[in-house]
Amino acid sequence: MGVYVIALKMLIGNRGKFYAMVFGVALTSLIITQQSSIFLGLMSRTVGFIFDTPQPDLWVMDPKVQFVDDVKPLQDTKLFQVRGVEGVEWAVPLYKGALRARLPNGTFQTCNVIGLDDATLVAGPPTMIDGSLADLRRADGVIVDEAGANGKLAKPGATPTSPRVPLRVGDVLELNDNRAVVVGIARATRTFQSQPVIYTTYSRAMRFAPRERKLLSFILAKVRSGYSSRDVALQINRQTGLAAYTAPQFKGLTIRYFMRNTGIPINFGMAVGLGFLVGVAIVGQTFFSFIVDNMRYLGILKAMGANNRLLFHMILLQTVLVGIVGSGLGMGIAALTSILAKNSELAFYLPWQVPVVTVLATSLITLITTVASLRKVFSLEPGIVFRG
Amino acid sequence: MSAAIQCRDVTKSYATGTTMTPALQGITLEIQPGELFMLVGPSGCGKTTLISVIAGILSQDGGMCRIFGEDLKSMSDEERTAFRLRNVGFVFQAYNLIPSLTAAENVSIPLLLAGHDRNEALIRANEVLRHVGLGAKLEAKPAELSGGQQQRVAIARALVHNPRLIVCDEPTSALDHTTGGEIMALFRREVLKGDRALVIVTHDSRIFHYADRIGVMDDGRVVRIAHSPDELELETSKD
Repeated sequence: MGVYVIALKMLIGNRGKFYAMVFGVALTSLIITQQSSIFLGLMSRTVGFIFDTPQPDLWVMDPKVQFVDDVKPLQDTKLFQVRGVEGVEWAVPLYKGALRARLPNGTFQTCNVIGLDDATLVAGPPTMIDGSLADLRRADGVIVDEAGANGKLAKPGATPTSPRVPLRVGDVLELNDNRAVVVGIARATRTFQSQPVIYTTYSRAMRFAPRERKLLSFILAKVRSGYSSRDVALQINRQTGLAAYTAPQFKGLTIRYFMRNTGIPINFGMAVGLGFLVGVAIVGQTFFSFIVDNMRYLGILKAMGANNRLLFHMILLQTVLVGIVGSGLGMGIAALTSILAKNSELAFYLPWQVPVVTVLATSLITLITTVASLRKVFSLEPGIVFRG
Repeated sequence: MSAAIQCRDVTKSYATGTTMTPALQGITLEIQPGELFMLVGPSGCGKTTLISVIAGILSQDGGMCRIFGEDLKSMSDEERTAFRLRNVGFVFQAYNLIPSLTAAENVSIPLLLAGHDRNEALIRANEVLRHVGLGAKLEAKPAELSGGQQQRVAIARALVHNPRLIVCDEPTSALDHTTGGEIMALFRREVLKGDRALVIVTHDSRIFHYADRIGVMDDGRVVRIAHSPDELELETSKD
């Protein structure tokens, strides 16, 4: 055991190299954790609306829809057809579209408008901060998401230099030349494009939206107990020609679209890969140089009776310590970023799988470094101790 | 009493490109337990190779070399490493103390390698350091010690596990005359206890008189053995 204390003291005693190696691993794990979390944050924003709408078992839509924002409106009669499918307990219409809100200073802001079924208000915002969902039944009522109310839809201050005033209940908006009264502020998952989200009733959304032949974006359906969602989805498809997905399927469809059709995965993958290479380069090179510096002392240990197995354990302990301290620091900073980024524009989602991946990556760096150094140590001739 | 070191017709060559350069050319030598044997000779004559063979760091190509009756050439690398751990202590010209460790920690290394408990090893290291006159420097790092003190720490490290053979490479060449004398006196007082044998490679003629015998090497051979510096000078003048 004591010989491992010697190994640690040899490592920590060389402060400059120890800090350089810890910095290398910390930087790597920070880059990997942060970039992966931002990637996941962005991906989760693409499906945020599905995530915020847990009530339906099935999302019914045009078969050509590729992702949640790719709305291909349906005929209103499709709603009745879906309601007629065996196994469907209820089905409600949902409008989802981008409308322009005119701000008091005369500028326009594009908003995601969600039109909820007038009777049930299914698919409303997950958390109300001010007002209640039922207030949507008041004349011209809309509910605005907190981020939009505090940010892009906030009113100008009294003077050009004074801070903007968040939108509050009772404020009036102009949506596509229609009057809308804020009746509630809600918390919703931010959208991919970070646009404000405005909830209203389906019928009011029809009024706000520009005239089109078809405006029904999705049909949300609940499966009757005793029926499987998969079977009912197939049945809907057979009888109506529409596609019906469960929430996980619809999320998968959306994420796959973004993965295939945007440069996001490549960009973040490159950042993560570069982070890994930077780690290998910094840690590998510094540790190798640390081993070269200590070659004489390792030779002495070898001459005095340390076998290769013991030296391997000593070096492994040194690299593992560097790995633990460095990845702990890097992931700690990333976790702190995650806390600070909460409720901000920064898309940051840090599930437990990300630190696991980071630990695996830093372990790989540690392993590569150990193996690279061991070749030198194993081939070390103990006779080095007699060379001046 | 059987010899501590018994070498007969020991040869060793190094490969230089496609040619073999002989370093030892039939060394025959016996060193007795309790003897301080010095190996002297010009640079490149094979002194370092010979002590490397004697210490079990290198294997000879031919001939026989028994250390306390054991033939190291017949041992595997692992066995030779274990033999060194039990039986050999080293003192080097450049001290070779690990800079980040205290004097006591440096001295405790052979015991730790042998699997001793850290506290037990430190207690024994402190004891040996006191014997070599460094009781006040137990917690000092090598950089805080003079050259003579560092060499004392190195001697304590060579002694701590009570080996039967100690090999030293130029132990006084980095020290002034007085300190070198003190170190040699320490060798005679502390190292040559019991049946321990001490082999010193040196160029430092100021310490020849501490030797029981002096082996003069040249061109990979032990060309003569003297019992005192005077005898050595006499033979040199005859030459």
